[in-house]
Amino acid sequence: MTALTDILHLLVTANLWQATLAAAVLLLLPALGGVISERSGVVNIAMEGMMLTGAFFGVVADLAWHNPWLATGVAILAGGLMALLHGVVSIRFRADQIVSGIAINIFAAGMTVFLVNRIYGIQDVGHANQNELLPNFNVPGLDQIPFLGQVLFQQNIVVYAALILLVAVHIVLFRTRLGLRIRAVGEHPQAADTAGINVYLIRYGAVVTSGLLSGLAGAFLAIGVSNTFVPNMTDGRGYIALAAMIFGKWTPFGAFVACMIFGLGQAIYDNNSIIHVSPYLLSMLPYILTLVVLAGLVGRSNPPAADGIPYVAGSE
Amino acid sequence: MAQGTGAIVARPRPPGLPPVVRRVVGGLAMPLGSVLFAFVVGGLIVAATGGNPFSAYAGLICGGFGIGCTQGENPALQISNTIVFLTPLIATGIAVALPFRAGLFNIGAEGQLLAGSMACTAIGIKFNTLPTPILLPMVLIGGMVAGALWAGVAGVLKATVGAHEVVTTIMMNYVAQWLLRYLIIGGPLQLASGTSKSQPIGPGARLATLLPSDNSLIVFGLPASVYRVHTGLFIAIAAAAVFAFLLWRTTLGYQIRAVGQSQRAARYAGVSVRRTIIVTMLIAGAFSGLAGAVQIAGVDHNLTDKYFSDTTGFDAIAVALLGLGSAVGIVLASLLFGALHAGGSVMQSDAGISSNLVLVLQALILFSIAANFLGAMRSLIPGLRRPPGAPPPENPAAALMTEAAAPPPEGTPIK
Repeated sequence: MTALTDILHLLVTANLWQATLAAAVLLLLPALGGVISERSGVVNIAMEGMMLTGAFFGVVADLAWHNPWLATGVAILAGGLMALLHGVVSIRFRADQIVSGIAINIFAAGMTVFLVNRIYGIQDVGHANQNELLPNFNVPGLDQIPFLGQVLFQQNIVVYAALILLVAVHIVLFRTRLGLRIRAVGEHPQAADTAGINVYLIRYGAVVTSGLLSGLAGAFLAIGVSNTFVPNMTDGRGYIALAAMIFGKWTPFGAFVACMIFGLGQAIYDNNSIIHVSPYLLSMLPYILTLVVLAGLVGRSNPPAADGIPYVAGSE
Repeated sequence: MAQGTGAIVARPRPPGLPPVVRRVVGGLAMPLGSVLFAFVVGGLIVAATGGNPFSAYAGLICGGFGIGCTQGENPALQISNTIVFLTPLIATGIAVALPFRAGLFNIGAEGQLLAGSMACTAIGIKFNTLPTPILLPMVLIGGMVAGALWAGVAGVLKATVGAHEVVTTIMMNYVAQWLLRYLIIGGPLQLASGTSKSQPIGPGARLATLLPSDNSLIVFGLPASVYRVHTGLFIAIAAAAVFAFLLWRTTLGYQIRAVGQSQRAARYAGVSVRRTIIVTMLIAGAFSGLAGAVQIAGVDHNLTDKYFSDTTGFDAIAVALLGLGSAVGIVLASLLFGALHAGGSVMQSDAGISSNLVLVLQALILFSIAANFLGAMRSLIPGLRRPPGAPPPENPAAALMTEAAAPPPEGTPIK
């Protein structure tokens, strides 16, 4: 099996793992958002659309103001606004959350290209200069550690932010009162309401947070990894993040492990020149692995009890 | 006279209207209202970004229905294009609507369609010398089987381990997408290295076009061969009839509806919920797979990279919801979305508005149906507010999706 030995050779290079972590972070941010949203009981399959919206407005702002930090802020806000739309439709109007999520994704795909035409008149948005992108940052000293230094400490600034957010989300969800409230609202909103928790407020907060995180991922994609916006540039990453969330059993670190596995697939795909198996077949792996997990072959994966059920105050 | 009419209008329910008419009017209010809502908001978006919504919509109407064209478009060709677009929407719309009835949300119609088109193409290439009477049924049935298997994975996982069909069908969509890329880029169906399309299917695997592909025959001012409208339209209409018959006139249809109403009640009535879930998904997948096979056999005759960005299976969700899950509704909603797709390109060339506005409109329709904006707006207008004691307005989307997909809100809503 030459393909197997090729992959084994690839697996011992630091370059591959460096790329794996970067690819994983693109999935981790929306996956964390999904974890927060669904833990509060709002199904979120709209990370794809929120990320795409963030990517678009990040590029627009970066091209206008030539400041990647400001542009990232705009991208985060744009993702948050899309999430707010999902929140209003599914919490206030108690819409079916899956239909609303699909609508968000279609809306984002259509609206971004529509706006590209309105703003730039053409399909091509233009490219941001190298010094207007989210920078890479080598941690002084630590980046000299053999192998690990390159993998962990020679990364884009967003990668560090995402790893900090990963720990933060875990602590907030499982070690704080706020986290307890979020989980209570997602498991048994009636009981949470009785205990004096504002179910709607928690859910709005959780959904909007998922949008902010997805927007950040969009900025990383558009003005970090890439330097421009192309239609549908998220290319299903929001859906892979959804898969990672389920794969990780609705926990931050579980999702991270899944993102690393999927990111590894992406990194191998990007380095496909030296391996002899179709990159397209490799790309199926995240989805097939998720199906295997769902089939219960690697332990059950159950969503929060009230996930997807609109809450009506006073109901039993 | 005028006074009398006014009095009748003011009354909540005109006694003169027969119940059938009232039902039809009531049934049409939600879909038409949603479409109206989408077009108004879409028009505002166009206006807010410096465009002219009226010329945009004029372009859509010209491109979709061949009415009021100003740039010399051929009306007959536009209508032909609309029919080509609407044909696969009918069967995929059914593939979403049928599981709705069982309380299942199939958002994998796209993957099932791709599975159908891949199977159709593979069979059509492999046996390309066979004559039409043998090969055409082979490719269509092959497509249906492939689609059924694709959806069956989700059905079996739902019925055995309870895996949510929304998630599993999303995963199967992507598996299909990457399999398609593999097959036609470097895989066994690739035409030649460097291309991203498959070999063409054999002549025996093709559906006839309605008009002969004859360049010397002039129809409505254009050669007959430019009209792509094909006999797959009749297959789609037949599929809608089969769907209606299956749902309302067979035991299986009764079981599907029973499971959708209440799994527990269905179980007490002796219906095997697991079996019904699996069978429902298999049939839904077969409809989607048929749509994919018909698209290859009737229009494209080979797989191309165009299929990478195909969205028929997602449009189908809007079709099923807007059509209220009924066969007639699905055909009408398919007509609307077919016209929007055909109209989008004319809008782009004539009015300079990106054809992606169609996606925006589609999303707005979905929002409006799902959130029942219409009902919310009614309650804001004093004259239309329901009298106290009247049953709370039913969310039409929720009515289609019960238990498994969208548990209806319990109790009476309290502000």
